[in-house]
Amino acid sequence: MNGPHQSEFRITSENDIVMARKVVREASTALGFGLTDVTRIVTAASELTRNIYHYAKSGVMHWRTLNQGVRVGLELSFEDNGPGIADIEKAMEPGYSTGEGLGMGLPGSKRLMDEMTIESTVGKGTTVIVRKWLKK
Amino acid sequence: MALESISVIKLRDLLLVTVPPDPDDETIAALQEQVLQAMARHEAKGLVLDISTIQTLDSFFARTVAETVQMVALMGGRTVLAGMRANVAVTATQLGLTVGNALTALDIDRALDLLNATPSGKLRV
Repeated sequence: MNGPHQSEFRITSENDIVMARKVVREASTALGFGLTDVTRIVTAASELTRNIYHYAKSGVMHWRTLNQGVRVGLELSFEDNGPGIADIEKAMEPGYSTGEGLGMGLPGSKRLMDEMTIESTVGKGTTVIVRKWLKK
Repeated sequence: MALESISVIKLRDLLLVTVPPDPDDETIAALQEQVLQAMARHEAKGLVLDISTIQTLDSFFARTVAETVQMVALMGGRTVLAGMRANVAVTATQLGLTVGNALTALDIDRALDLLNATPSGKLRV
């Protein structure tokens, strides 16, 4: 199979944070990312998976490879049906947290990745999509 | 899943703790508790946290380490984080993490130097 690779991973327990890191480490290494970029991607995945576990209890992480012309990248999406984020702008401020976290997860993950989009509806859930492009 | 094993080694009046490579949150919390108990039991003056096998230092881990450093300080000890890999340092900094008042060293050797362990086992203050 030469098409884009993709898979999904359910997050239902704390241990799934570790498993998600493993899945993302394998996918990003296989795609050809260097060690520092792999570490950035895995760390962002760890933060976003933990957000799901802590705020929504359960959710799904999808990953897929991106082929845009000559550009190759990895996309991770984190979807949950949790409480949603009332104020996304505020949630992106470093140090802001409605839970017990440091408030580093969302803004930090954005810095570690090349692109981030957040869609959230209060009472319905949240989807966070992050992308990292392979530098040639 | 079972907790990953954490080894706490007493080295003169210091504790040497090797953090397992990919710890889950429960293991990290357990590590903090074990370290504090061992500090009291051995009347240790310092703690070396060997994080050389750690591949992912995320915000939960960093917060627990910073807390542990603070708790150890309240018990009269100093903490050195030893062996952080370059890729982990880059990532942790970009994520915006700090590790509180921990001293840092490139490896365990230098960490022990930093804590000033003398052959008599006394710490110079």
